[in-house]
Amino acid sequence: MAKVVVDAMAMQRALTRITYEIIEHNKGIDGLVILGIKTRGVYLAQRIASRLKQLENASVPVGELDVTQYRDDIEHDSQDTDPKVTISKIDFPVTDKKVILVDDVLYTGRTIRAAMSAIMDLGRPKQINLAVLVDRGHRELPIRADFVGKNIPSSQQERIKVSVSEIDGHDSVEIIER
Amino acid sequence: MAQRFLILEDGSIYPGHGFGAGATTTGEIVFNTSMLGYQEIVTNQIYHNQIIVFSQPIVGSIGIAHDAYESILPSAKGMVVRDVTDISKNRQRSLSLDQFLKQHNIPGISGIDTRHLIRQINQTGTIKGSIVDVADDHAFDQLHATVLTNQQVAQVATPRPYPNPNQGYNVVVIDFGLKHGILRQLSKRNCNVTVLPWDASAQDVINLDPDGVLLSTGPGSPLDLPESVLEMIRTIQERIPMFAIGLGHELFALANGSDVTKLKLSHHGANHPIRKIITNEIIYAMESQGYVVDPDSINRDRLITTYLDLIDGSIQGLRHRDYPAFSVQFFPDGAPGPNDSVDLFDEFIEIMGTRE
Amino acid sequence: MDTKEIQKILIIGGGPTEIGHETELDAACVQIIQAFKKQGIRSLLIDNNPFSAALEDVQPTNVFIQAVTADNVQRIIENEHPDAILPTVGGVAAISVIQELQENGVLTDNNVQTLGIPASAMMEINNPDRLNDVMRHVGMPVIASETIGTLDEAINVANEIGYPVIVKPIAPRIDTNRMLCENESDMINAVSRGLSWSRFKQCVIEQSIVGYKEIELVSMRDTMGTQVLIAGLENIDPIGIHSGDSMVVTPTLTLSNVEYESLRDTAFAINNQFRFTGVVHTHFALRADGESYYVTKVTPYNDRGTSLAACATGYPIAYVAANLYLNQKLTDVRLPEIYHFKQTAILEPSLDHVVVRIPLWPFEDIKNADKHLGTVMKSVGSTIGIGRSTEEAILKALRSSQFSPQDELPSMSNLTDSQIISQLIHPLSSRILVLLEALRRGYQVDELNELTKIDQFYFVKFKHILDIEKDIKTHPMSIEALRKGRYYGFGDGMIAKMWQTDIETVRQLGHDNHISPTYKGIEPSAGELSGTPTGYYSTFELKNESQQLSNKTVLVLGRGGNQLGPNASADYFTTEMLKQLRKSGYQTVIMNTNPNAGSLTATLTDKQIIDPVQLGDIMNVIAIERPVKIFVPGNRHYLTRELRRRNYSISILPPDQEKRSELLSDHANIGLDLFVAKGHIVPILASDLRSDQGIATTLNQITLMRNPATLTTQQLDAILKHAKAYLGAHKRTGMVQMLYTTNGNSKQMPQFAGVRPTRLTTIAYLNKVTGINWVRMLVRQALGEIDEKLIAKWDVDIHSERRSQVRGTFPFKQLQLPDQLGLTTQEVGAKISFETL
Repeated sequence: MAKVVVDAMAMQRALTRITYEIIEHNKGIDGLVILGIKTRGVYLAQRIASRLKQLENASVPVGELDVTQYRDDIEHDSQDTDPKVTISKIDFPVTDKKVILVDDVLYTGRTIRAAMSAIMDLGRPKQINLAVLVDRGHRELPIRADFVGKNIPSSQQERIKVSVSEIDGHDSVEIIER
Repeated sequence: MAQRFLILEDGSIYPGHGFGAGATTTGEIVFNTSMLGYQEIVTNQIYHNQIIVFSQPIVGSIGIAHDAYESILPSAKGMVVRDVTDISKNRQRSLSLDQFLKQHNIPGISGIDTRHLIRQINQTGTIKGSIVDVADDHAFDQLHATVLTNQQVAQVATPRPYPNPNQGYNVVVIDFGLKHGILRQLSKRNCNVTVLPWDASAQDVINLDPDGVLLSTGPGSPLDLPESVLEMIRTIQERIPMFAIGLGHELFALANGSDVTKLKLSHHGANHPIRKIITNEIIYAMESQGYVVDPDSINRDRLITTYLDLIDGSIQGLRHRDYPAFSVQFFPDGAPGPNDSVDLFDEFIEIMGTRE
Repeated sequence: MDTKEIQKILIIGGGPTEIGHETELDAACVQIIQAFKKQGIRSLLIDNNPFSAALEDVQPTNVFIQAVTADNVQRIIENEHPDAILPTVGGVAAISVIQELQENGVLTDNNVQTLGIPASAMMEINNPDRLNDVMRHVGMPVIASETIGTLDEAINVANEIGYPVIVKPIAPRIDTNRMLCENESDMINAVSRGLSWSRFKQCVIEQSIVGYKEIELVSMRDTMGTQVLIAGLENIDPIGIHSGDSMVVTPTLTLSNVEYESLRDTAFAINNQFRFTGVVHTHFALRADGESYYVTKVTPYNDRGTSLAACATGYPIAYVAANLYLNQKLTDVRLPEIYHFKQTAILEPSLDHVVVRIPLWPFEDIKNADKHLGTVMKSVGSTIGIGRSTEEAILKALRSSQFSPQDELPSMSNLTDSQIISQLIHPLSSRILVLLEALRRGYQVDELNELTKIDQFYFVKFKHILDIEKDIKTHPMSIEALRKGRYYGFGDGMIAKMWQTDIETVRQLGHDNHISPTYKGIEPSAGELSGTPTGYYSTFELKNESQQLSNKTVLVLGRGGNQLGPNASADYFTTEMLKQLRKSGYQTVIMNTNPNAGSLTATLTDKQIIDPVQLGDIMNVIAIERPVKIFVPGNRHYLTRELRRRNYSISILPPDQEKRSELLSDHANIGLDLFVAKGHIVPILASDLRSDQGIATTLNQITLMRNPATLTTQQLDAILKHAKAYLGAHKRTGMVQMLYTTNGNSKQMPQFAGVRPTRLTTIAYLNKVTGINWVRMLVRQALGEIDEKLIAKWDVDIHSERRSQVRGTFPFKQLQLPDQLGLTTQEVGAKISFETL
C-alpha cells in the first residue's frame, strides 16, 4: 500500500519555501555553497540552486556527497555499522563557507553525521545548515534540520519513498507500508 | 429598455439602452477584458466608485448564482456592455442580472460600442464618466463637478471584526474591501479566520495570536491610507507570516520602502502571461489594478521580486528577504480567472506550518 | 535524440478531403511549412490530395505524391532519412500510420523522432479504454465503459451498462466519433461497423451521456510545460449530435467561471500527463446542471476545432505549434510582422465578438442519404458568422449556410406540427430553421429546452431574432427597423424580401440615413493592445476600424463553406489565385466564411473579411476598398450579374465558365485540355475519361482521368488538329476541355463530342502533371500578363508517356450508403497517383 503524501505541486512549493528560508536565514546568498547527498539529495540541491539563481541572478556552487553503505530509507536489518559518506564531486573550497547540506529524507541522523565529518575533512566551513525534503522522525543522534519541506511522522514499519522527476519521471513522496 | 447615455469627461457621448437600476451615476471608467464572470466582477469591491466596461460581448447569459458573489453589497457604479441577456430561469437560478442590479441600485447601459470605447480609453487614460438619461450640458456640468471620494476603503471594508470559525490555522484577515474568493480559499483550507477592519492596529492583530495574517484586496489608492496602516504591516511582518493581495500587496510594498504609482490606465484582465521568477513558470491570473509598484524604487536589500507580467512588465509579486512575508498584485483566488496560482494559499498554509 | 539536431522533417499530409476533415489540415500544413522554412528546416511532404496548397509550397524534390499508408511512409523514411516525422496535420489517418510504424519498430530503427505527440501517448489517445485509464490515474472523472472484441461480449457489456450505450471503435482508420445505440439491434449494427473500422478489431462500449452539453477547449503547450488556452468552443447542440454536425459558438456563453476554469485545469493536466507539444483539442461532456463533467476525446493535433479557434481569435495556432515542435518556448516564439501582437505568442486570447459555426450537409447532392443528425458526422463543410452579439453571429452564419444567392432564408412554414415535434427530437440538417419555426409557432423556451437539450439562452436569442424579424416585416421602409435589423445581423437581401422591394432600395435607405457598417478587428486582446489586425468582420456600431488598403486592391470572393462537387477544389484554386495576385503587385482582400479555408490564412492576403459573401456585404466592402478588380473563383451567376450591372470590373476564373458548354453528345471518353490566349492555343494534356467504376455513360459520371490517353499518335495528332481548328474558329479564352469519343478501333479517328470549361478539379491535376501552375496562368491572363515570351516558356509535352491518374472520392461510406456510382457533383475530394515507367 502506497500513499502519496506530497504531490508534484507540493514538492515544488516545499523547495520554493526552503529556498526563501535559506535567503531569509543567511541574509542573501553570499558565501553559500550547497552539497547534495546522493542520489536524490543532489537533484534537490540542484533545484534549490537553480531557484536561488533565478531570484538572485548569481550562481551558488553545488557539490555531491556519496553514501556508501546504506540509505536510511532502504530496508536494512542491522544498524550496527554507520554509513560512510565520501566526497564524490566538490570542486570548490568549503572553508569559511556557509554550507547547506541537502538530503531527501531525515531519519536516524547517522547519514548526516557522516556527511558532516566528510565535509569537515575537506576544510572548516563557517557554518553547516541542513535542508531536507522530509523529516520522518526517529532520530538516533542529536541532529535537527534547519529547513524542512514536510514533517511526516511515520512508524518504523513504514517506508518513505521520494521520487524526483529527473530520475523517477515524476515528483512525489509516498508512504509505503511494509 | 429606455434610451440612456454614457457620457465621458472629454465630451464624448455613447447612446445606449438602460438596464438594471435607473439611477444617474458617475464614476471612473475602467474596462475588464475577462471573457466570463460578470457576476464576480460587478460584485468585487475594488470597483467601488467605478463604472466597468465589459469587453466580453454578452453579460447576463447565466443569471446570478448564489456561489459567485465576491461581496454581498456591491459598490460598483455601473456596467457598460454591448449586450445583456435577461435570463433568470437558466439552470434553476432564480435571479437575473437585471433584477440583481436593480436591487443594488447599480445602473447598466447596453448597446454600447465597447470595443471603440476601450480603444478610446486606451488613448485618453483613466477618465470619469456618467450614465445619464439626457446627455445635455447639465449632465456634463454634473459630471465635471463630481468629486469622487478617496475614502473608498473606509466605505467598503467591515467596520467591525467578525469571525469565520474553523478548526485549522488561526488567520487574521485585514479587510481593505476584500473579495470573497479569499475567504473561500482560506475556508477550503480549514482556517479559523477573524476579519479585522482596515484600521486595525498591530496590537489588535497580536491580541488574536494568529498563525498568519492576510492583507486583503480593496479599492482605490494605497496612498490615500494613513501611515498607521504601514506601521501595522511593518510590526506584524517581523513576527507573523504574512500574505498580501492586490491593494494589500501595494501597501506591503509601501511599508517596505517602495513607491507605488497610479497607472495611466488601470488594467483588468486575466489573459496576461505572468512569470513566476523562482521557477520560470508562466501562469495566468486575474490582474485588476489601478496602481503599480515602481520597479526602480524597490529596495533590493529588503524585497525580492517574485512575479512579473510579461506583456506590460509590471511587478506582480514581492517577498521580504528577512521575514516570511509575501505579496501578489494579481488575484490568486480566481473568481473570475484562472486557478493557476491558487496554490499560493497552500504556500501560505505551509509557511504557517513551519512556524508552529 | 535532441531536437536541436533536427534538419529534415517528414510531414504526413491529410490525404483526400472527406467527411471528418477538409481543407483545415492542408491550411495548417502550409503554416507549418512556413514556420519550418524560417527555422531553416527542410520539409518533406507525403500527400496524394491534388487540392493541397501545401504541396505547392514544398520543393518538388521533397514532395511525395503517394497515398498516406504505413508502407509508403516507411519507404520514404528508409530512403530519405528524415530526423523527425510530423503527424499533427494528417488527421486520424496519420496517427494510425505512426502507430503502425511505432509498433513495427521502423521509427526507432531509423532514429526518427515523432513531433508533438510522445511515443508513449501515441498508443493511448485514440484508444478510449486506455485514455480512461490515464484519466483515472490523474483523478479525472470517466464514463463507465468496457472494451470488447466480439459481438457476444458487446451484448453482455451493453446489458450490464444498460441502454442507451455508445459504441466507439478503437484506433479507427477513419474519423468517427461515437455511435449511439438505443437498443440491441442498433448496437449489433454499430459494433459490426466499428470492428471493421478498428485497426485492432476492437470497440469500446460505454454509458450514454446523450443530452449533456458538449464543450471543447483548444490549448497550446511547449516542451517546458507552459500552456496557453486559446479558446473554448460551446456546442449549441447537445451530445448525441456529432460536434462536427453541431452548431458551435465561441467564446462559451453559458458556462460559469468555476465550470470554465475547472475544464481549463483538466485540459492542462491532461496535456501535462501526456507531455503533448503544440496544439491540443480537448472535448468535454458537461451535465446540464454543471455539477459534473467527463473528458470525452483528446486530439493533440490540428482539426476543425483548432482551425475554428484560430479563425475566431486571430491566433496563428499552426504557425506557433510548428515552433513548439522544434523545442522553442511559448515565451520565445515570435510571430510574423503582420500579426496584431507580434511580440509574443503567449497572450491568452480574449474575445470581444461572438463566432457561430453552422455545418453544411451534402444532402442536396446525395438524395438517398439519411438526413438525420446523430453521433456519426455527416457534414462536409461549415460556415461561420462573426458579430458583436449572439444574434448577429447566428444570423450571419445562417445566411452563409443557405445556398440562396439572394440572401434569403428558406421557409419551414409548410411543416405540420407533428413534423416539427418529430424534427425537434430527431433533428435533420434543417435543425436551426426548425428551431426558429417552432418558436414562431409559439413553443415555449422551457419546452424546447426539454425537447432538444439546447440551453435556454439560445432560445432566448432565437426568439429575439424572430421579434426583430417581425418588427422589420411590420414596418416597411422604416429607418429604425433597418437600423435594428442590420445591427442584429439581418442581410440587405433578407430585409428587401421582407419589404417586397429590391436590395438597392434597402441600401439607399441605409445610405441616406448613415446606417453604415463598421468593421472590427479580429484580434486576441479585445481592444486592449494597439496594433492593426488584418482580419475583420462587419457590424453596425459607432466606429469603423478598416480603412482602404490602397488604390491597387483586388477583392477576391471566397467560395464559403466546403460542399461536394467543384467546391472541393475551390479553396485550393482561391489560394493559388491569391498568391499570383500578390505576386503581380496587387494588394489583396479576401471575403470568406469557411473557417477551414487555407485562403483565409493571414499571411496570404493583406486583409481578410469574414462576412457572408452576399451582395449587400460585398457592396459594403467595395465601398471601403474601392478595388480595381473583383475576382470570383468559380462562377456565382447572381452575384456576378448584379455586380456587373453596377459597373464593377469582374474576373470570373476559370473564365469560360461564363459560357455554356457546347455539347454534341452526353458521352465522351477522351478529353483534351488546352489553354487559349491571344491567338495561341496550347494543348496541355490528353486523357482517358472514366467513371469511378469503368465506362462513363454520361458526362457527369466522369470522375476519373488517366494518362497517357489510349490514343495512337495518329489519333492524338488528329484531335490536336481538330481542337486547334475548332478553337481558332470559336471565341474562347482560358482553359477548355475538348471532348471526344473513341470506339476502341485504333484506325478510326475520334469523334468530336463537345467542348466545356476545364473543371477546377482538372486544373489542379494539370498543375501536378505538368509542373506549371495553370491557376496562376489564368490569373495572369485576366491581368493581361500573358505574352509570347511567357507562352514560349511553357514546356508541355503533350506526347508524354508518364502514367498518372486523378480520381474523385465520395462520402458514401461515411453516409452509410451502399457503394454507388459517383457523380462529379458528389465528389468530396480526389486523389492523384503517379507511376514512373
